[in-house]
Amino acid sequence: MRSLSYVRAGNVREAIEAFAAAGEGARYIAGGTTLYDLMKLGVERPAHLIDIASLEGADRIDTRGDVLFFGAGALMADVAEDDVIRRDYPVLAESLSKAASQQLRNMATVGGNLLQRTRCPYFRNGAIGAYPCNKREPGSGCAGIGGVDRGQAVLGASDACNAVSPGDWPVALTAMDATIEISGPAGTRSVPISDFYRLPGNTPHLEFAIEAGEIVTGISVPKTAAGRNSTYLKVRDRESYAFALASAAVALRMDGNHVRQAHIALGGVATRPWRAREAEALLNAQTIDREIALAAGRAAFADARAGEHNAFKIELGARTLADAIMIAGGKIQ
Amino acid sequence: MSDAHDSKIFEVTRRQVLEVGTIVSMSGMLPAAAQAQGSVSQPTPENGATVRVSFQINGQPGAMEIDARASLLDMLRERLGLAGAKKGCDHGQCGACTVHIDGRRVASCLTLAAKVDGRTVTTIEGIGSADALHPMQQAFIDHDALQCGYCTPGQIMAAIACVKEGHASTPEDIREYMSGNICRCGAYVGIVAAIQQAAPQIERG
Amino acid sequence: MTQEPTADRPRIDAYEKVLGRALYAADQPITGLLHAMTVPATIAKGRIEAIDATAAQKVPGVVRVFTYEDFSQIKTTPAARGAYGQPGKGHQPMTSPVVRHRGEAVALVVAETLEAAIEGAEAIKVRYASGPFSARMEDELASPEAEPDRQLSSGDAQAAFAAANHRIDVEYLHPQQHHNPIELISTTAAFEDGELRIYEGTQAASAFAGGLAGMMGMDPTRLRGVSPYTGGGFGQKNGIQEQSVLVASAAALLRRPVKLVMPRGQLFHTASYRPRSRHRIRLGADEQGRLLAGLYETVQQNSRYDGFACDHGANPPRMYGYRTWQGSDRIVRVDTQTPGHQRAPHEHPSSYATECAMDELAEAVGMDPVEFRLANDTQNDPITGKPFSSRHLAGCLMRGAEMFDWNRRRREPGALVADNGGLIGLGVACGSYKGSMTAAVTTLRLFASGRCEIATSGHEMGQGIRSVIAAELIEILDVDPTKLEIRIGDTGHAPQHITAGSWGTGSVAPAARSAAMKMREELSALTGAPLSEEPVHVQLARTRRLSLEVTVNTIPLGKDGQVIEQLRRGIPSTTGPEYPEFMAFSWIAHFAEVHVETSTGRVRVKRVVSVADCGRVMNRRTAESQVRGGVVWGIGAALREAGETDPRFGGVLNNDLAEYVVPVNADIGTIDVDFIGEPDFKLNMSGVKGLGEVAMVGAAAAVVNAVYNATGRRIRHLPIRIEDLL
Repeated sequence: MRSLSYVRAGNVREAIEAFAAAGEGARYIAGGTTLYDLMKLGVERPAHLIDIASLEGADRIDTRGDVLFFGAGALMADVAEDDVIRRDYPVLAESLSKAASQQLRNMATVGGNLLQRTRCPYFRNGAIGAYPCNKREPGSGCAGIGGVDRGQAVLGASDACNAVSPGDWPVALTAMDATIEISGPAGTRSVPISDFYRLPGNTPHLEFAIEAGEIVTGISVPKTAAGRNSTYLKVRDRESYAFALASAAVALRMDGNHVRQAHIALGGVATRPWRAREAEALLNAQTIDREIALAAGRAAFADARAGEHNAFKIELGARTLADAIMIAGGKIQ
Repeated sequence: MSDAHDSKIFEVTRRQVLEVGTIVSMSGMLPAAAQAQGSVSQPTPENGATVRVSFQINGQPGAMEIDARASLLDMLRERLGLAGAKKGCDHGQCGACTVHIDGRRVASCLTLAAKVDGRTVTTIEGIGSADALHPMQQAFIDHDALQCGYCTPGQIMAAIACVKEGHASTPEDIREYMSGNICRCGAYVGIVAAIQQAAPQIERG
Repeated sequence: MTQEPTADRPRIDAYEKVLGRALYAADQPITGLLHAMTVPATIAKGRIEAIDATAAQKVPGVVRVFTYEDFSQIKTTPAARGAYGQPGKGHQPMTSPVVRHRGEAVALVVAETLEAAIEGAEAIKVRYASGPFSARMEDELASPEAEPDRQLSSGDAQAAFAAANHRIDVEYLHPQQHHNPIELISTTAAFEDGELRIYEGTQAASAFAGGLAGMMGMDPTRLRGVSPYTGGGFGQKNGIQEQSVLVASAAALLRRPVKLVMPRGQLFHTASYRPRSRHRIRLGADEQGRLLAGLYETVQQNSRYDGFACDHGANPPRMYGYRTWQGSDRIVRVDTQTPGHQRAPHEHPSSYATECAMDELAEAVGMDPVEFRLANDTQNDPITGKPFSSRHLAGCLMRGAEMFDWNRRRREPGALVADNGGLIGLGVACGSYKGSMTAAVTTLRLFASGRCEIATSGHEMGQGIRSVIAAELIEILDVDPTKLEIRIGDTGHAPQHITAGSWGTGSVAPAARSAAMKMREELSALTGAPLSEEPVHVQLARTRRLSLEVTVNTIPLGKDGQVIEQLRRGIPSTTGPEYPEFMAFSWIAHFAEVHVETSTGRVRVKRVVSVADCGRVMNRRTAESQVRGGVVWGIGAALREAGETDPRFGGVLNNDLAEYVVPVNADIGTIDVDFIGEPDFKLNMSGVKGLGEVAMVGAAAAVVNAVYNATGRRIRHLPIRIEDLL
């Protein structure tokens, strides 16, 4: 880790100005649970840190209006414990409470969590492994392809990268059609979450639709009755404190016994939070049972491609989604 | 680092403190063991660009000029002689470094020391004493919720927070909310029992 | 002599630990400390062609960059090694340009602060000439040794197997595993009071200090190894670490104290680990379920350059009354760091393979797995014919079956279903671990004030060895535990034999006990009368002496006085399991209940019952904790842990605690523990056998057998993961 400057910004404007003034090597830091971690691994090497964890009003959680609004600086633990969110949008609350540990959820912000980077070991092991990684060193190749790929993506991979998008919260937000609020030197803008995460393609190092100097300031989620019939199911290598092997965010707007609209996104299996439109369409106007849930699960993975060790993720992902649909539909607990 | 960045907006002292040493105003805060051995850690020079932080630790005010890269854990352990919080992974993956900031449990290894400016930090050294153990400490002894003891300070800090957060009402809840603290000796059964014992006392207190 | 377990007392050092006052190696307050960081090699094998340290030396705060050119004086003779079970250290990083495994240190940066040391280390540029290598024993360039390390046989097993009514022939694969004690391995070297003190969490302070002195060409009496608390060892801290001599040498060259806390990512590449192994097991039984034949062949990975014997075959033939047996164990050399002993080093993998095979054979014979084991119980070792000093394995099985309610088990897999639809499986497996002891030199000093000091051989790493010492002193002398100072893990106080292999209690309990008894004799001689019921220190005070000191050498059964000299030189000198008159083992039976989620294949271990025969129980509370810990390790091994290697690169990919998944709290359900509690006075005067290792032996197999009972699937590799049961 190289020597760096640190400044704490008081508000968004101050932060953006500080970033511009800092020049080369400037980075915003909020909770630091990803950035500082990767700095310790030598993967991230900022020269200037602008601390945006305590921007004025940035931790606001507002569930009163037409949309749910989460200030980017709200802590993961606080959103996970919000009474309204827990009651009306369990998919959101669970995606947060099943992530990391309470210590980290007390540090990490819901805005920063959107920018969490992959757990691909070839990406993280820059120091000892020095493995080829197009994300870490564009053009160096991808050791994840043809490697120990048990954890790698089966959806959305390219010839340049098959690293999994690691988040849980972004998966739930993807299912719920969230919008990301962004401020930068050129003003503010809103980006649908479906446009926020890029596929790796030939540029796996470009992961997020956010420019240098821009800050995520908030997240809006349209209110929907689907929230009540929702869940975030996460399957991992241990019962807690682990990243997903497969996860599913499901919210169902019901019309009596029939699905009026399904919101489905997948985690742990794809190179970005993965909206499963095929599965949603398949559930449309159906009543939920094990058979249709599994059919939706299989539909979500119709285009999946496996390597040597991760084929199980296709079946596991389908079954995880099926279980999540059953839970959201109130068929199982 | 080029001088072009040395603008006023960074309210950070950039001088590199090589000879003067860091100003540490933490007298009386060192653990008994360190004092007993008469070898209190020296003021350390800071080698990188520094930032000034003022804080409360275990009820006492402190201030220092510290390398802006340093973690809170390394500030506690290497600068302030508070070695109770432990380094087990340095990446937020084991929980041995757990301390409280403003009453909430955090991983001090993934917390920049710079971030505690203006904050209140509590470490294991600020919890109970030999004469008056905290109920959680007593419960850990009663249920032998420890073996080698290395993860124990972090377990106890996490356990106290777990109760205060309201996550200690069932064994399942305790297991889930204590899963950020790895005990390689495998004292989990005792840890759950200890928290069940201490929780009502802490809630009453 | 008492046959009762000692009183249920809190762990004597628990107060220090819950208060955060127990000082581990990296916690020592040392004035003027410099910080070091290693630069790990980024190739699996080859040579360093050039090191460019220019940028590193310019980093503010960097005091010195060391490379192999600075450390060529370090001696790497086998005698210098001193570590148990590893007679030669064939490769010490940074003493030549040779790189023999990924992640070994190629440079050491010392700086005023940790941050500067890290920045300096990152700034080092190394150019390598990389060579061909093999990362795993399956790889093309891996080299099987021609001769087996061990062959045990009894009778004509081939013929007996061929003639058996029921036969199984199966192969089990055990992965590479990593100890991962939560204390990061660290080394701090400081010249204090005219001696070089090395603070390092270790299980072998004398071997460590003696070995380091040898490597550095120092007078061993001027080098002191200090490790009063070890933050978990599990075998990973039983030798000299790759970085130890580098830090010590840096401190010597700089004349300043230096501390290095190894990053965990590097430790996966520099510290020891449990090597990958394969186990082919053939078992044959007759119609009545009598074991006629066992044939057991194992192979295990090792590094290219060190001894680490494959020893899987030692225990399995002693488990049951095999009529015939044939076993062989062999190593395969690959390009990694040297593996080593990890909790129940060979007993765990071999019990996994053979106890799962027993489950398979019980099914083939059509017997209940508990009955099958009871039917093959024996009081004599099938290999040597000697009796066991004590063996209550049948008692463990019967008491465990009762506590566990084993009778609810159904033979046909999947017959028990939980309320949520999950499949319930019940499994059993047994384990054993050798009964072993070492010598000790113990000094006990009683003060008229009531204070009591004892210095002896032992390292506290969580097993509660201070509590064992205290228990004997309290029993014999009735001293006040709050006025008791126990000095262990420090060569400045007493020679320190390596503490491992479950011989800690069996060595230190008799040492403390005999010192306490000698104290009574001396005190009695001093007072000129038999001791009264009054506190011993009061009786001492009456003699107008401030203190009374006794020193006792304890020599374990089957050894002579020479072991004391070996002990002083740090040379391992253990006994067992074979003694002139008998074989000595601890025994255990584990019962596991798993629930398997049908949709995803997730396995949850709801309950484990373990009953151990470890001789006399020194402290019920700490003993239960040790068994629970062993069971947690068994669960981790059965369902979680494996070091992953990419054969294209070598090294360990999942080199952190997020991706190398050890059990967390949510993974662990109920673990009920009981003990037979029969003292084994044939082995020693305290009647104790070991516990820390046997606790894990068989635990993984019980889980695997339960998974079979739930699902009907025999998974013959570890860990059993989701993909295995989908």
